[in-house]
Amino acid sequence: MRLLRRVCIIRMLLATLSVASGQDVRVSSADTTVRIQQPLVRGGYFDKPFITRPFGRTAIGGYLEAIARFERTEGVTEAVSFEARRFNVFTHSVLAEQLRVAAELEFEHGTEEIKLEFAFLDFEIHPALNFRGGILLSPIGKFNLAHDSPLNNLTERPLVSTQIIPTALSEAGMGFYGAFYPSIGSRVTYEIYLVNGLHDGVVTNAEGTRLAEGRGLFEGDNNPLPSVVGRIAYSPSVALEVGASLHTGPYNRYKVDAFEIDERRMLTMAALDWEYRHDDIELLGEYVIAGIDVPPALHGVYADRQRGIYAQLNYHLGRGWISLLPRSKFTLVGRYDIADFDARLQGDATQRVSVGLNFRPVEDTVFKLDYNYHWHWNRVNVVERSVGINLSVASYF
Amino acid sequence: MLQRSYPLLFVIFLFVAGFVSCDTFLTKEPELGETFDQPLHGLTRAQQLAFARGDEAFGKVFSIREGLGPIFNQASCESCHSGDGKGHPRTNLIRFGRNVGGAFDPLYDEGGPQLQERSIPGLVPETIPAHANAISIRSGPVVFGLGLLEAIPDSVILRHADPTDRNNDGISGRPNMVMPPDWLDVPRRPHVGRFGRKASVAFLLQQVVNAYHQDMGITSEFLPTENPHPQYGTLGDDVPDPEISRATIEDVVAYLRLLAPPKRGPITPQVERGERVFTQIGCATCHVPSMKTGKHPTIVALSEVEVPLYSDLLLHDMGPQLADAVVEGEASGSEWRTTPLWGLRLLADHLGGTPFYLHDGRTSDLREVIQFHGGEAAQTRLRFFALSKEDQEALLAFLLSL
Ligand code: HEC
Ligand code: HEC
Repeated sequence: MRLLRRVCIIRMLLATLSVASGQDVRVSSADTTVRIQQPLVRGGYFDKPFITRPFGRTAIGGYLEAIARFERTEGVTEAVSFEARRFNVFTHSVLAEQLRVAAELEFEHGTEEIKLEFAFLDFEIHPALNFRGGILLSPIGKFNLAHDSPLNNLTERPLVSTQIIPTALSEAGMGFYGAFYPSIGSRVTYEIYLVNGLHDGVVTNAEGTRLAEGRGLFEGDNNPLPSVVGRIAYSPSVALEVGASLHTGPYNRYKVDAFEIDERRMLTMAALDWEYRHDDIELLGEYVIAGIDVPPALHGVYADRQRGIYAQLNYHLGRGWISLLPRSKFTLVGRYDIADFDARLQGDATQRVSVGLNFRPVEDTVFKLDYNYHWHWNRVNVVERSVGINLSVASYF
Repeated sequence: MLQRSYPLLFVIFLFVAGFVSCDTFLTKEPELGETFDQPLHGLTRAQQLAFARGDEAFGKVFSIREGLGPIFNQASCESCHSGDGKGHPRTNLIRFGRNVGGAFDPLYDEGGPQLQERSIPGLVPETIPAHANAISIRSGPVVFGLGLLEAIPDSVILRHADPTDRNNDGISGRPNMVMPPDWLDVPRRPHVGRFGRKASVAFLLQQVVNAYHQDMGITSEFLPTENPHPQYGTLGDDVPDPEISRATIEDVVAYLRLLAPPKRGPITPQVERGERVFTQIGCATCHVPSMKTGKHPTIVALSEVEVPLYSDLLLHDMGPQLADAVVEGEASGSEWRTTPLWGLRLLADHLGGTPFYLHDGRTSDLREVIQFHGGEAAQTRLRFFALSKEDQEALLAFLLSL
């Protein structure tokens, strides 16, 4: 009986394969002979190249992150809770030596938020000139480009990179990237794209000016002009990289058909990032400034200038302390963090100090224990303090 | 194998133990009676729930998508009543009108009596008409203890009134008797106004509905049509009216009603001396130390209790320096409601360190505040500046103990 079933399955597989490859294959059994010349639907599922062309060139990976969190604000315990924060799936397909397609699908908080974080096609014309098009991670600040939880040594992302630059900021667009090697050991990389940019949500939301609220123009631009985003990074040696980036363009809907309905309002973010690695020490950080052309009738409620900075120190130690896990290591982390939501105002800012200790049984998996102290100033500069203790796990797979 | 990691485990232990045991690392709860946002004692579960919901609604910042505007001043109650305290001068609002031949015209057709200096994108904010000759700048007053103010019977307030100055002390407080608006379900007769800088509102519900409507452009069942721009109407606010529910309004009213006043600061001999001086020189004639509430049907904490408000809730002519020429109900262009002085010591804490006294927040110096007391308070002012330095200091120490 079992044998019979196995034969059947093999047959079915063979049949699918032959249908898929559209070849003329005979499958004979005791009683029937099936002759297939055409795929069931030409261009349909079984006719798709990932099935019909040789296997093994699409890789699937991803990462997950889960958190146990304790939170307290002004002496009142607000939460002791568990959070299934992220489950992200990457795919990477090499179509030809110069052609690649990459994507990341993000499931946040279970399936509460599902997002295609990026999905683009890369075409290499020359190592110094590659085309990229699709939904891409905007190259504004290093953190937005490399923000996976297993990479981040603290549970929380830096405030600048979430509250000012709204990581993950991905946009529909096209452009080029590449690398030059001015001397042995040094490198310059660049990325530059035209994208849809942000939308009016930046100033129509309740929080005040929030760039994160202007994300999501994937189906088309809300105005006739695209935005430009680009980053250039210089790395004199493997130990150091310094990057400068800019994102600029109009964000509001100022034209409907032929009618001007508003002034054209610009939004610009400029960022500086740095990363230094030497032996067991890493220093990272980012400075961001944003200028938002806010309608005059909203001045005083929505800020037109924001900025923020973070600086982080990672110190790796205890490599191989645990002999069963020879590649394991510990990391001590410290970070200072501030996001100023209205640079023209004393107040309306948030500042955080975090310290943490991590354990990586292997490079791609990390257990993090961290503590942060948070100051939040409202618009009249009254401070509210809160703390968080996180125990989290993040791992690539 | 694990021996080498003992030091590390120890560090982890310290890390956890240190934080869990220490208030400095885990933030401290503010002490009872030291902030403006605490509820009265002895609330029922249902009242606590309404308080919590109202608290959230009071802090809620409205977005344009949720109905803010078309024209408005600020996007949340909290922005003008920081931590249930006063407003920062940055969020002051402006009332205007025109005095012609002894009559006051609130210029309804030109956007009066309140200026909405902001608008949602695509619309134009209001401007003050050129011929307006009365302009009043107002900062938000503290909003705690309002249930207590509301529960003081009219008759108790009227006992302090002396409109014709029969006792000849130069101080002639009078009530602002105001008719309730049609949509308010209360007896149709004049009531003693107690809310607002000129006591032009008698009921909390009315104050809250108006605040949503005028200050934020948020409609409710009570006032279901938008406050229009006098020339451009309500174009642009596409959110269906009413924009908030009756329940939300009621929660906010409950919240304000149940907010407790803070407790007094330490009472030192100097403070006691200051209190005596305060009464002697006549400050207490207007800033009446205490009044008693009537019987409250539902809230025990509001029923038959002494209210240490340091106000008579009456109108006084405060002289030309404070006058704004804006008439509200029976309040003239130079009359103001005596500001309750409770919580004075904590005003600055709720405004990032600066107290911003008086109806427009013009000064943060208590001596200057007294200097600005003119009109009916002129005599008292003279007496204050004639005091010995110690007595003056004691009086200020008393004020900052409230
Ligand atoms: C733009 C600033 C602003 C906003 C927004 C605002 N208020 Fe006010 N509030 C004021 C000012 C100014 C006054 C004094 C008004 C007057 O003089 O008539 C006031 C007075 C009050 C009072 C009377 C307090 C007293 O002791 O007389 C209450 C209650 C109140 N507001 C509640 C609210 C509520 C509830 C909201 C939100 C729905 C709100 N306010 C939104 C500025 C504001
Ligand atoms: C005639 C009545 C009257 C007398 C007497 C009087 N006040 Fe006042 N007081 C007022 C009124 C009315 C206001 C509000 C004025 C304004 O905001 O324009 C006020 C405001 C104040 C304020 C500002 C409170 C705030 O939060 O803005 C203080 C402080 C104060 N008075 C203290 C005193 C002291 C001290 C004395 C005695 C030297 C005194 N007052 C005498 C009526 C009086």
